[in-house]
Parts: sequence; structure tokens; C-alpha cells
Amino acid sequence: MTEIKKTYKNYVDGNYVRSESGKTYTVQLKSESYELPLTSKKDLRDAVTSSKKGFDSWNKLSQYNRTQIIYRLSEMIEGNRDSYVEILLDHGLTKPAANKDIDNAINTIVWYAGLADKWEQLTGNLNPVVGEYFNISHQEPIGVVFSLNSTEVSIDKLVRSFLPALSIGCSVINLSENNAVLALKLSEDINNSDLPSGALNLLSGNFSNVLDDASRHVEINTLVSYKKLNKEMLKIINENASTSVKRIFHLPSEDGLSSILPFIETKTVWHPKGR
Amino acid sequence: MDKWEYAESIESDSIVSIQSKYGHFIDGKFSTPNSKNYLKTVSPSTEEVLASISIGNEKDVDKAVNSAKEGFKIWSKTAPSERAKYLYKLARLIQERSREFAVLESMDGGKPIKESRDFDLPQVASNFFYFAGWADKLDISWGTKEMKPYGVVGQIIPWNFPLLMLAWKVAPALATGNTVVLKPAETTPLTALLFAELCEEVGLPKGVFNLVTGDGTTGAELVNHEGISKIAFTGSTSVGKYIQNAVGERDIGLTLELGGKAANIVYNDAALDQAVEGVVNGIFFNQGHVCCAGSRLLLQEDIHDEFINKLEKRMQTLRVGNPLDKNTDIGAINSKEQLEKITSLVNDGVNDGGELFQIECELPSTGYWYKPSLFTNVQPSYNIAREEIFGPVLTTLTFRTPEEAVEIANNTEYGLSAGIWTEKGSKILWTADRLDAGVIWANTFNKFDPSSPFGGYKESGFGREGGRHGLLSYLKVRS
Repeated sequence: MTEIKKTYKNYVDGNYVRSESGKTYTVQLKSESYELPLTSKKDLRDAVTSSKKGFDSWNKLSQYNRTQIIYRLSEMIEGNRDSYVEILLDHGLTKPAANKDIDNAINTIVWYAGLADKWEQLTGNLNPVVGEYFNISHQEPIGVVFSLNSTEVSIDKLVRSFLPALSIGCSVINLSENNAVLALKLSEDINNSDLPSGALNLLSGNFSNVLDDASRHVEINTLVSYKKLNKEMLKIINENASTSVKRIFHLPSEDGLSSILPFIETKTVWHPKGR
Repeated sequence: MDKWEYAESIESDSIVSIQSKYGHFIDGKFSTPNSKNYLKTVSPSTEEVLASISIGNEKDVDKAVNSAKEGFKIWSKTAPSERAKYLYKLARLIQERSREFAVLESMDGGKPIKESRDFDLPQVASNFFYFAGWADKLDISWGTKEMKPYGVVGQIIPWNFPLLMLAWKVAPALATGNTVVLKPAETTPLTALLFAELCEEVGLPKGVFNLVTGDGTTGAELVNHEGISKIAFTGSTSVGKYIQNAVGERDIGLTLELGGKAANIVYNDAALDQAVEGVVNGIFFNQGHVCCAGSRLLLQEDIHDEFINKLEKRMQTLRVGNPLDKNTDIGAINSKEQLEKITSLVNDGVNDGGELFQIECELPSTGYWYKPSLFTNVQPSYNIAREEIFGPVLTTLTFRTPEEAVEIANNTEYGLSAGIWTEKGSKILWTADRLDAGVIWANTFNKFDPSSPFGGYKESGFGREGGRHGLLSYLKVRS
């Protein structure tokens, strides 16, 4: 029987889509070769439109619900472990290394699932101001986040490039480059985890094609890169970001409480006490 | 007027001694600048020249940054509890010389002595006390495994709260183990220069605190210096954008506290007399030279006439005049340039069709002054409803429903602060949840505390100053 091969597409607004440009790029693994969508500026703008809506629908869910949706992602990955192992082996990992990476990813997802309903208790607080005032620093997710995945071949690194923002309520546009097969494969399990459309959009391509738009688009509130960027790119990003005071984070923490700090806005509310 | 006149009660300026010329404070001492250019700092209430201030050039900034680099070698190895003690000692000295600082602040910047004495200086001291106590508790402040100071921090501060902005910047930076090169505003450098003397007095290690005076060119030299690991800036959004752009290819820290155009929302179920007080404090505090000033009054339509009537009556009781008179509510506008900007924006408002009310009062014949002003009949598209005026000018808009109030309040690129006035608790929380603002005052306004984080959403900047959150502006954290 002839083997049939899966076509990987971008995951935008809960749909699997090709690049509107029709362009692809080749990712050659040990045994398979994939033609992945080369994300265009227009694709990015579509993803932003989706993420704006995704932010609202993701935030309408209770933290309790969000915890369960993220936890479900770990269940889905466990159920499809063999197919992930296969892809990781094709990327050149050994079988033990592939299984270890999947174990790590599941642990990471479970950790962030449990954070979704606790992060505000860990980062917000009452402030002991002088005088008869109630003063609280409430924590809010910043909004739409564009995130560039690292170049490592790792499901764990991949999920760490969107869960810190996603788990606290941001919507995320995540771009992977030469390791994008992993992200597009993961989109199937994301889709089966009941995440609202647009809360997470997974794209493949070359960051330099969308760098200008990603750093300039006023509806992207924060741009974060888990890949080390060269000076030329940093210069363009800062220049573009300055037009709307966009938040930029280059190689932020990827674990623990510090990983979510780039994506928080602190809102401090005062009220007098009295009779 | 059918009221008794106030008798003058002038705070003596004999407590301050001002030198005719100042250098920069680098490597633990005042030194002769490399720059031969000076500017004159003027009292905005008398137009008298108070002193000549060096306009620091590239070499002056370079010397200060190198001093801070050397200082960092010592300071980063100084025991946290020892760092704390230096800050406590500074706090004590500030308390002891509080009156001197307050008078100097009012002379150089034009703010009423009532405010510099009762607000600025107590807050300055309490900021040093507050952050002193964090210096030896950083490891337990955020539950993270790794925290490192940036190194040399370049700090640029504005002229509206000169010494308080210094405290907001310097206290957390030093507590977290960074060293500082500070550039005060060109119109208000004198209290920062006096603060440098205190650093010498407490024996702060050389190079930990450096001060370079100057204008925008000096600030640009500091921002562009490659020895800087982090920039902290408070000022206008346009300069903030310039700085973010200037960071360019450098992978350094940046926090920005920029402009605002805060909505002060008064619902029809508010305690109106209290709201009037809050609205007056919200816009006329410090002549309206406040980035978080409640400059857009949003009134629910059915209370508009009643509220405006009460507000105009209350405004008429404000006393404008000599900043050193203890009766003064509204002091001098900080500079001629700022006065021209306010005048021009108010003219725009009148030309656009806004209805202008200004209080009846006599303004001194010398100095820079502006009458407390209120605009009604304003459309949201007018300049006065969109641009930061940074003066004693309040713009009124109306709304019918809470949803509309939130929409108008958020319809700005700024997001620094907001006010909510209602006696209904659930409405406060509903509104606060929906406002894009970093600081929200409900049934109060313009309250500050070292323990309370301050900073903006959107184009009002990023990062927080004050509180536990303020530590993060000066630490690189991992895990």
C-alpha cells in the first residue's frame, strides 16, 4: 500500500491554513521532507485579528476552566506519545532523549496548568500604604503576545515559548522556524484541548520575513524572543516598537514564576477606608 | 471680594544657601566639568537667576559612567545589610534637612511650600526608608532563584517632582545593588545637587551615585553611552519613544514612566462634595504638572450642571501666588516654555469651541503663572481632550452609561491613571476592571506611597516604580 503523508499547515483561529502567499519552505529531516507554510505579513495580520478575539474569549473563561484546558493538552500529548517520538527521532534525537523531552514537556504543561489559577496570588499583593486606604496591586494579562520559539528541537522548549503568556490569560502568536514541524504537529493536540479559537496561533516560517510587522503592529502588545537575535534585528525591533511603546523581551526566563513576569500589567487600585 | 484677605505667611529662604555655579558629582565628589557650557536655573516665581549649571557633555557623561562602573565593583560586593544602612542613613539626613530641601524645591521649581513641605519631602524620606528595608530581603521578595542587578543604571528625571523622582529612581536602584548616573531636569537641578552632598556626608562608596547636570543633549549622551546596562526614564511620551528607539541594537534594560491623560469618572451616585474636592486635587495639585493628573473630567450627564456649579465655586477659592507663602495652593508654572505650551493648548480649546472658565484672581507681575482653568462643552476630538496639557487645565466630557464612561476613558493612547467616584462598591470594581490604567484611585485621587506600585499601561510606559513590583525594574530575574 502506498504510504500517505500528512500536510502540515499553520494553525490560525482554530483552522489549519496555508500561507495566503502560497509560499512554503522545506524542512528536510532524516527520512521525511516537509513543505511548511512560509508565513507572510498578511498571515501575521490575520493571526493578530484572531488573537484579539482569542484574548477576549480566553479571558471570559474562568481560571478553573483554563487550568483544565491546559492540563488536557498534557493528556493529549501523552496519548499521542508515539507520534511525537517518531518526529523527534526524525529530527535526530535518540529514543531515550525523545521520551525525556516529552516527559519534560508534559511536566511543564502540568506546572503551567496549575499556575493559571494561582499566578495572581503569587504576583499581586496588598500594599501597606500609610493612612486609611485599601490598596491592592491587581495583576492582568497584557493582551496579545508575539513569541518567537527558540531554535532547539524540543517539545519542552516549544511549550515554554507560549505557556508563560498563555497560562496567565494572554493570547499568543507563536512562530517556529526550522523546528516548526513540532509546533504544527502540536497544533492538532492544541485543537483537541478545547482552547478557544485564537487564544494560541501557531505559525511556521522565517522570522526575518515578519519581523518588521511583528514589532510595528500596534495590536501586538508584547514581542518576546526565546531565540537569540542578532544586533541588526534588535535595532529594527526597538525602532519599530518605540512608535507605540511596545514591550520587548529578548531571551527572558523560561521557567518558574519569573517566566510570566514579562506578560503582566500591574493595576494598583486605591480606596479610602471610612464609616 | 466679600471675604477676609489672608495675611501673608512667607517661609524664609534664609535656610538655603545656593552656590553661584555647580559642577557634576562624580566619583564621590564635585568636580569641574569638561563642558564649558552653562545654563541658568531660574526661579519661575521671580524670574531671578538662582545658579549656573553645567551642561554636561560626552566627556562628562563618560567620566560619570566610568565612575559608576568602578562603583559597581564595590557596591555589588557590599553586603545587602550594609547597603540598607547607607539608605537608612540617607533617609535620616533627608528628614533632618527636610525644610531646607522643601524651600529649595519651591524656589527652583515653583511648587507651593505647602506641597514640597508636606508631600514631596516626607515622600522622599519614606522612599529611602522603604527601599532600604528591601536591600537585604531581595532573595525572598519574589520567590525566584536568581536575581542580579543590571550594573550601571542611567536615570533621567523630570522637573515636576524633582527630588521625589530622584528618590523613586535612586532608592530602589541602590537597594538592588546597581550604581547610578542621574541626570536631573534642566530647570530643577538644585535639590539633586544638594542630595549629592548628603551622599558625600554619609560616606556612600565612591561611584555609587553620580550626578551629571545638563539639558536634553546631556540626556542623549547618557542614553547612548555603551557603558549603561539599564535606562530608567520619567518624562514625556515623545522623549520616551526617542529613548526606546535609541536603545537600538543594545540588549539593555529599559523602564519608561511617560505621559498621561487620566479620566476622572464621576457617576451620578457619587458623594458630590467629596468628588469636587477630589477632582480639584486631581488636576490642580502641583499646578497640574503631574503625569497622572486627572485632566479629563468625565461627568455623568444628569449631574453635569450641578457638579460644574460646585466645581467652579470651589476653584474660585484656590489661592495662586508666591510658592513660599504657606497659604498658596497653586504656585508658579515651572518654566516659560511650559507656560507657552499651556497657553497655546488652551487657545486651541477656545478656538475649537470649548467653553472656558478661569478663576478671578490677580497674578504676580513677574514670574510664570496660569489661572486654574476649566473647559466645558468639549468634544472628544479636541486637542484639549486628547493631548497632555501638563498644567492647571481641566477638560470636561460627559457620558450616559458606565459602558460609555469606560469607552471614553480608554479612548486614548495613554494608560497611566484613572479616577472613579461612586458610592456603589460593585460599580467601582466593575469600572476598575475595565479601565486600561496602571493606577486607579476610587473615591480619592493623587495618593502615593513608597509601597504602592506606580506605572502605566499602553503608551504611558512600562515597568513599575514603588512597592515590591518596583524592585523588578532594577533586577534581572530567573526561575
